[in-house]
Amino acid sequence: MENTQQTESKIIELKPFADEMVVNMGPQHPSTHGVLRLELKLDGEVVREAIPHIGYLHRCFEKHSENLSYPQIIPFTDRMDYVAAMNQNWGFCLAVEKLLEADESRDFEVPERAEYLRVLICELNRIASHLLSFGTYGMDIGAFTPFLYAFRDRERLLLLFEKVCGARLTYNYIRIGGVSEIIPLEPGSITEQNFLDEIEAFLDYFEPLIDVYNELLTKNSIFAERTTGVAVMSAEMALNYGATGPNLRGSGVDWDLRRDEPYSIYDRFDFDVPVAVDVPELGSVVGDCWSRYKIRMDEMKESVRIVRQILAEGLPSGPVMADLKAVRPPKGEIYFRSEAPRGELGFYIVSDGTPKPVRLKGRSPCFSALSALQELSQGLMVADIIAIIGSIDIVMGEVDR
Amino acid sequence: MDKYIRNIYRGVYTVLVGMRVTIKQFFEPNVTHQYPYEHDYEKKRNVREIPKGYRGQLYNRMEDCIGCKKCEMICPVDCITITGTKLPKGEQLWDSMNIVHLKDGREAIGIIEGDDKKAKSEDSVTLTNITSRQGPQEVIDRLEPSGDAGRIQTFSSDEISRIVTRNPVVFYLDQFDIDMSLCMYCGLCTEVCPTECLTMKDTLAGVEYSKFDRSDLIFRFDKQEMYNKSGTEDIEAAD
Amino acid sequence: MSDFRAMLASPYFNVSEGFFPNINLQDGLNWAEEFIQNVVIPRLPEAVAAHFPVELGTVLVMFGCAGIFVGVFPLLPLFLVLAERKVAARFQNRTGPMRVGPWGTLQTLADGVKLIFKEDFIPPQGDKFLFLLAPYIIFACSFAVFAAIPFGQNILVSDFNIGIFYIMAISSVIVMGVIMAGWSSNSKWSLLGSLRSAAQIVSYEIPLGLSILTIVMLVESLSMQEIVATQSNGIFSWLIFRSPFTFIAFFIFFISAIAEVNRTPFDLPEAESEIVAGFHTEYSGMRFALFFIAEYANMFAVSAIAVTLFLGGWEGVLPGYDILGGLPGFVIKTLALVFLMMWLRWTLPRLRVDQLMNLCWKYFIPIAFFNILGTGIWGLIFPEDTLISTSISCAIIYIGLIAAYKVAGRSLAQRPAPQPS
Repeated sequence: MENTQQTESKIIELKPFADEMVVNMGPQHPSTHGVLRLELKLDGEVVREAIPHIGYLHRCFEKHSENLSYPQIIPFTDRMDYVAAMNQNWGFCLAVEKLLEADESRDFEVPERAEYLRVLICELNRIASHLLSFGTYGMDIGAFTPFLYAFRDRERLLLLFEKVCGARLTYNYIRIGGVSEIIPLEPGSITEQNFLDEIEAFLDYFEPLIDVYNELLTKNSIFAERTTGVAVMSAEMALNYGATGPNLRGSGVDWDLRRDEPYSIYDRFDFDVPVAVDVPELGSVVGDCWSRYKIRMDEMKESVRIVRQILAEGLPSGPVMADLKAVRPPKGEIYFRSEAPRGELGFYIVSDGTPKPVRLKGRSPCFSALSALQELSQGLMVADIIAIIGSIDIVMGEVDR
Repeated sequence: MDKYIRNIYRGVYTVLVGMRVTIKQFFEPNVTHQYPYEHDYEKKRNVREIPKGYRGQLYNRMEDCIGCKKCEMICPVDCITITGTKLPKGEQLWDSMNIVHLKDGREAIGIIEGDDKKAKSEDSVTLTNITSRQGPQEVIDRLEPSGDAGRIQTFSSDEISRIVTRNPVVFYLDQFDIDMSLCMYCGLCTEVCPTECLTMKDTLAGVEYSKFDRSDLIFRFDKQEMYNKSGTEDIEAAD
Repeated sequence: MSDFRAMLASPYFNVSEGFFPNINLQDGLNWAEEFIQNVVIPRLPEAVAAHFPVELGTVLVMFGCAGIFVGVFPLLPLFLVLAERKVAARFQNRTGPMRVGPWGTLQTLADGVKLIFKEDFIPPQGDKFLFLLAPYIIFACSFAVFAAIPFGQNILVSDFNIGIFYIMAISSVIVMGVIMAGWSSNSKWSLLGSLRSAAQIVSYEIPLGLSILTIVMLVESLSMQEIVATQSNGIFSWLIFRSPFTFIAFFIFFISAIAEVNRTPFDLPEAESEIVAGFHTEYSGMRFALFFIAEYANMFAVSAIAVTLFLGGWEGVLPGYDILGGLPGFVIKTLALVFLMMWLRWTLPRLRVDQLMNLCWKYFIPIAFFNILGTGIWGLIFPEDTLISTSISCAIIYIGLIAAYKVAGRSLAQRPAPQPS
């Protein structure tokens, strides 16, 4: 008798007819791309609210940098967006180089060969990053095979990076004033020729595969059903949230820093900037998950084009490192942004003339994109949340820094 | 109705196209590396080769280390600990060795005959007492020069890309510890090393050195033995 | 010798003019009886021989067969799991498990041993009784299905007169186990998974049942053996080619069956990337293994049912080529369908819940009803399965496929791909 009374009172406490179920998706969850925690308020399968909680991968990058000299910071930028570490290195080095240029007393220019190597390696890195994005997106949607195809091809790229800088993931290759010389790539030598031949072989192998992957996943009607029309981010909303890169172009805004604010030697290459359009056959509208995903697939083709142009020209000879005795930027501050695979990567550096920055701030494209998740996910289903996270392509290492 | 039938069409069609893609891959050769097993170098197939210059475990050729502490300073994570005593001015233990980097990627360690600082501008460079880069046995060999004629080699200046000059060893090193559990493999320390004695192993041993105890990952490079062998009375006097 | 002649005259043997002798179980039973009567009894003491049951041989052979059944079926999933992993590996240019045993063939066994020794965790806040009961319900139901599947001429446990109805009924009970597992785990992911599963299985039972109904209408029997018996005249007598409507029904049946066994593209109840592992999130050790075994046994079972209903069961491609009672042919056909399931699984992404329901209620069920209507009309026009009806049916199927290919090619392939502006 007592027992029944207890259960009854318990039921009243639990409010069995509560209409919302709170579920913690993550930080340990198969498809939150790292350690993102989403607090989902569910009504059945329908998401009433999705609140992202970040910070599980916070490593105090910005504060830590204040105690490190500029060359020492580069390995830490590797750890930000670890699937596109070359681009992160480059973004930081570009900012510091810009700061150094302000010093009148120092005649300093990044050598031509280094610029070519930077573009070459970073575009390959962009392919690697987009491949990973494509693969994991397929896996999020439930197709496991594209994931392994993507990793199979990415492996070949990683072997190339390994040959040029000695590491597979955290490259520390692009340095202030040039590129690393850990593994010398003598101009005109057989090593260089082999390296370029291997890149060419990879491109010949990979370029037709993009269309195969489009057949396998992009145009698949189930995949299209899952991703088209889901989580439409209008151009206005994308701009308001500061979404950049493929996410912004997926919303139909024609903006690419490589073309519109060309840094390094991007103005010498001929490439298109893919922008999302409505695809009525598949039911896709500008700004939905499918558009964002498709931009990445198209960008891989453009990166292949850029790399092919470099291979056709050949690498110029000369040094790969500018003659910089010590990196000691003049007093001042700089904000420089570059187009990383996930969007605009910005670095804000305040220098007081010492070898260490006074303040360093990284502008992470993933963080801005992730902030739109809460608004995008209103009223969608649990499965759509996965589709959104995959389509905005976040890397938690960069979000949390 | 048109849309209804078209949806069925598209569903069936795209599924069949996808199936065609996967069945093509079904008959492709596999790309798997049977990782630990096929590292057996006698079995050549599918061997995952570690490329030259791979950033593996740090190794220090202690006899060439001059104790300049540049690596300790540049290390972003402070994984290198060096303590030592500097000799009085004008005294030195010995000179570090020359390293000749060739354009094809090879390198030779030895002592250049004559003035090594001007060797780059000369037509040919003769390197005596060539040793390989790693291993304790070679360390001892180098300290007791045998004068073997087979270990002398001459390189023409066309082959040479870079020469590392000799530096006097003026530090009595008590401790040179590298905590590989902290190391982030950025390779900055190997770049600043003036004698290029601190290197990263690009061999299998440099990639796989997992230990059961974290403290075993602190590699202690010891120089005591060498001091005894080369007669270190002077040093004790200096202390 | 005279028995052998009688055997030759038996209905099982007279069709076999092919390359292989036709050995079937009935022969085995006859032989056992003969053996007891002619060899064993004369050598026994007379007192015993007079009362010695002649049927003992038959009984022993039947026990032997039953032993094979009991022994083989739990081993089937072991084989299928390995096959799945190897097939998946091939589709992805991998090698799959390679370490345990030669080419990793003992990997499943090793996994089984691991699962047995794992901690059997029971959620303390959950409903313990239901939590313990659920895996057994699912396991028992998925194996009970095998009782009515004819693996060969005489290789089946029981030829019910309501065989296919029994299979439908018993496989519907699985959903009870799934809901019990999801509810009792006291985990939100499990609950979501089990409710998804309930909705999915209940919905897909309908097109499944309707497409079975088209077969039952033509065969006019629910008995599995009778369904097989109508398909005994080679490949064109198989029910899939009996009428254009059964051809469509086969695909509806097969796709719904994939949904019934929760495999990609319909693996929502255990969608790994969405709800971790669905209804068996909280299970570990041997209880998880029971779910796993049941899943693969189910996969084999639905393929076997599809083969029985549409692809001639144990009957051969040509009439009479049913070696060893048709068992090898049956297994090959079933494994081919299992391979098709694996192929689909490693190609396709996953549907969303509402799209899954759309597919069922807007596409499969109307088409299945249309099928039933068509089958009724077809049955009126061609009451008997004759050469003419089969040729007409095959011609319609052929023309339909070609037309569909052409139309699809025009409407899809030639449409210009969207160009980014």
